[in-house]
Amino acid sequence: MSKVALSDARTNQILRLHIIWRVVFALLATAGTLTPWIGWVTFASNWQKILVTAILLVAALASLFGARQLTRRSHAGRMIALTLDYLAFVACAVIVLNTGQVFIGIDALGETFGRGVPYLGIAVAGYFLGAIEEYYPKRNLSPTNSLKAVSRWVILGGFVLFLWQIDAVNGLLYFLSKLAQPKGLVAVAGVLVFGFSLWSMMRPELAQALNAKTNHEQIINGWLFLSPNLLGFLIFFAGPLILSFYFSFTDSDAFNPPNWVGFDNYARILNVRFAWLSSPDQLAREVVDIKIYDEVGRFKFGNGGLLFAAADKFFWLALRNTLTFALFAVPLSVIPALLLSNVLNSKLPGMKFFRAVYFMPSIAAVVGISLVWQWLYNATIGYINYFITVGIEFWNTLFNVAIVDPKIQWVSDENTALFAVIIIAAWQSMGFNTVLFLAGLQNIPGELYEAATVDGAGPWAKFWGITLPMLAPTTFYVVSTTTIQAMQVFEQVFILMNPPEGPNNSTITLVLYLYRSGFQNFKQGYASAIAWVLFIVIFGLTLVQFQRQRRSSIYEG
Amino acid sequence: MKKSFVFKMLSLFVIASFALAACGSPAATEAPAETEAPAMTEAPAVTEAPATEAPSAEEVTLRWRTRPDNQEEIDVYSQISTELDAQLDGITLTYEPGGTEGANYQDQLRSEVAAGTAPDVFWIPGTDVADFATRGLILNISDLAAQTEGFNVSDFYPGPMYHLTYNPETDASGADSGALWGLPRDVSTFALYLNLDLIAEAGAPDPRELAAKGEWDWDAFLDVAQKTRALGSDIYGYGASAWWGPYGVWLNASGGGFFTADRKACALNTPESLAGLDFQRSLYQDYDVATPYGEDPEPPFRAGKVAMFQNGRWATPGVRTVDFNWDVVELPNGPKGTPGNWLFWGAYVINAKTAHPEEAWKLVQALTTAETQGKVAALGANIPSRVSQEALDAFLTFTPPANNQAFLNGIADAAAPTAEGPLWAGSWPEFDKIMGPAIQGVLTGATSVEDFGATICDEANKVFNQ
Repeated sequence: MSKVALSDARTNQILRLHIIWRVVFALLATAGTLTPWIGWVTFASNWQKILVTAILLVAALASLFGARQLTRRSHAGRMIALTLDYLAFVACAVIVLNTGQVFIGIDALGETFGRGVPYLGIAVAGYFLGAIEEYYPKRNLSPTNSLKAVSRWVILGGFVLFLWQIDAVNGLLYFLSKLAQPKGLVAVAGVLVFGFSLWSMMRPELAQALNAKTNHEQIINGWLFLSPNLLGFLIFFAGPLILSFYFSFTDSDAFNPPNWVGFDNYARILNVRFAWLSSPDQLAREVVDIKIYDEVGRFKFGNGGLLFAAADKFFWLALRNTLTFALFAVPLSVIPALLLSNVLNSKLPGMKFFRAVYFMPSIAAVVGISLVWQWLYNATIGYINYFITVGIEFWNTLFNVAIVDPKIQWVSDENTALFAVIIIAAWQSMGFNTVLFLAGLQNIPGELYEAATVDGAGPWAKFWGITLPMLAPTTFYVVSTTTIQAMQVFEQVFILMNPPEGPNNSTITLVLYLYRSGFQNFKQGYASAIAWVLFIVIFGLTLVQFQRQRRSSIYEG
Repeated sequence: MKKSFVFKMLSLFVIASFALAACGSPAATEAPAETEAPAMTEAPAVTEAPATEAPSAEEVTLRWRTRPDNQEEIDVYSQISTELDAQLDGITLTYEPGGTEGANYQDQLRSEVAAGTAPDVFWIPGTDVADFATRGLILNISDLAAQTEGFNVSDFYPGPMYHLTYNPETDASGADSGALWGLPRDVSTFALYLNLDLIAEAGAPDPRELAAKGEWDWDAFLDVAQKTRALGSDIYGYGASAWWGPYGVWLNASGGGFFTADRKACALNTPESLAGLDFQRSLYQDYDVATPYGEDPEPPFRAGKVAMFQNGRWATPGVRTVDFNWDVVELPNGPKGTPGNWLFWGAYVINAKTAHPEEAWKLVQALTTAETQGKVAALGANIPSRVSQEALDAFLTFTPPANNQAFLNGIADAAAPTAEGPLWAGSWPEFDKIMGPAIQGVLTGATSVEDFGATICDEANKVFNQ
């Protein structure tokens, strides 16, 4: 399709329309700020009303500012117009899809999808038909009767049959029927109006009239490509993050409007007491106010001891367990991975196979893995204890000794439960870390090893003197990410342990406690506060790691 | 050029269809009852409840959910849904099992309730009723029930109905309390699943015969457990899971319990409760007859290594697959002459945000008729919640186990079962999370019964409203 260039007069006319549109946009947005407060649209709580009002107010002000810039023929006005129209366009498109129930329709598609799968085979066959010509081109065929042309129609036919089989026609009709309501029609109108405005503003004549430069177009395209990810980040990550920060200052239960409680949630988390015990077994109620505090633990020494009590003992138990978990799980998933990567980095035959084998636990579903380990760990009929028993019996018979079978209660003994989880976590993340180390090893110049060999260095000296220092950036990344993962341990504990807190709360972790508080005890506000304390703990640990990394002189500059 | 344009247009149509195909068929994608949140600080009165769109057509679509234990139950509930769909005029039903691989039934349900996407009617365990009711998440259907001809709360077991008619504002319970939060789906109770081969091999007396003679008490139970345990280091006399149900019966049987009579304070430290706990501790620590506490006892039982496995009726379908002789017997009587058993139950309740409370109430009634409950009970997983001799007679025919009567004995008035129930004056989940680990400490030998008794209620009483 050929493009028709616009005359200057026409361009000016369109520009004026855009200026008017910006003012109308501002008026509409301003009117929109009133809707939450006069009951046109219902919101569950005040924060939602305030948020919507603030967004619309900013949009209105930005639109007015954009109109002013457009009158000055400033390119900033064009950028503002494009941004606002694009965001409004996306919002309307989402409302259209939501009103048409496309999102919840995914389940229905899942039910009918299987019926259409064989017809996708036709589309695949069409693709191969086209591929044949790629490899065996025949000169006497014209572009219209070539295999490629045929293949395109076959692919299209296959897709059409597929859509027919999965009931797409009914789906379309249903979608349209759901749109036929005021909300849907307004959203469709919004899509059309904002889409048209966008298209118009993107026209080269208008860009030229607004003094657009080449880099402006590049910037716009860059943002456009970035926008799906950026919007997803803002809506599904940054938004909830800010929201959880707000909730952490409320008593939200997720169902009813939250009340502002200030720092109460944080104060409860951090409310602890230490008290001296006159005897190691002195009751906590004799030294702290038991109506507020619960015993978390006690340090016994001599004829006395020190009691540690907290208003929320579960938080401190969870913190203790999480730190213990990280303390063991991180070295156990990093050090073996480092050694393993050195072995797998050799050029021995079959190494690629083993690389895949070690990586497998990382891609397997955590739920499945945890269930398998649950069986392995069973104290009475599990394989681990079975092999320990067989091994001990063999040893006893062979050497005529009487070693007692420990019959370890892996997941039901408070002394071993957390260790059982550590083993799974380390086993699971070791493969991924190995691959990261492998990538790091392959970036170390071979000349360094050759020079070291010439200097008479042995394998161990090369490892300490070359491999380890050269791998420092990789090691830093691996240790940091593994530590963060370890501090957020949840799935393994949740699935493996029954109850998840384990015997005597020995496997309660911070994320597990957060989950329990928010989703089982209806304390979303308190759970949010726990999440932010966890964030601070992880941030602090990562900061320490960064500082240690900076001290490394090898990679400075 | 033209052809290319046609091709592009067709391709565009196909791509658009792909996106919109997600809408699927109308029946399969009917939205959940569209809702706008009512003020939820208190349960809305029925007449005010549907702060939602009025139904646009005569046919009303309701989503309902109950937790199944296995695929067979999903099939039965799906079948029931189809049949009720045909029976209930003007109502189209969609059944969904709920729960996913990574989130259990209750957690997922709570998230959906918070998001406003929960079904119109759903099942919750008895312990959750207070939390849902006091937060205004489920409807008080007493007004609807009062207008329903032939409906009578006494048609159901009194234990569950005490809690389901509890009015937290007046502390009253019963048909005239002004509260009805739902109807019980079914009831269940504990029994001991017996490995008859192991018991015979050990030369121990048959617990069923002892029960018939009225001699099945804690001493007799311990005797059977010790004799079977003596068969080998990998054979156990008794096995029970690590949650409040199994350990609670020992406390109940000795005259104790979790709560005081008014359920407004902790009673775990009473001498009776501690005596019951001490007996159970002895099974694990002194006599060493039980599978390690905290380990799932079902796999070893099904592997033929446990003589007496304490579990509810819901375990029956799984036990039916074992290849040894088995049956069930009621729990042994404790020092007070009763087994201290539980009357487990869960209820169908109505989402406070449903757009169709009246239709939902019809559905709840239809789901709890004797006929519907009989179909579910035929699977062997639970007992009808209606007090009906007909229902009980039918239940006895659902064999194996041959001794189905043991379950009925467990819920009979003579056994004085304690109804599972919510904490209207506190938080049950929080109480459970304090009690469970502490009792585990006792049963694994980490804490003495005396230390447990000295401290547990200091902590547990904090979950009650001050």
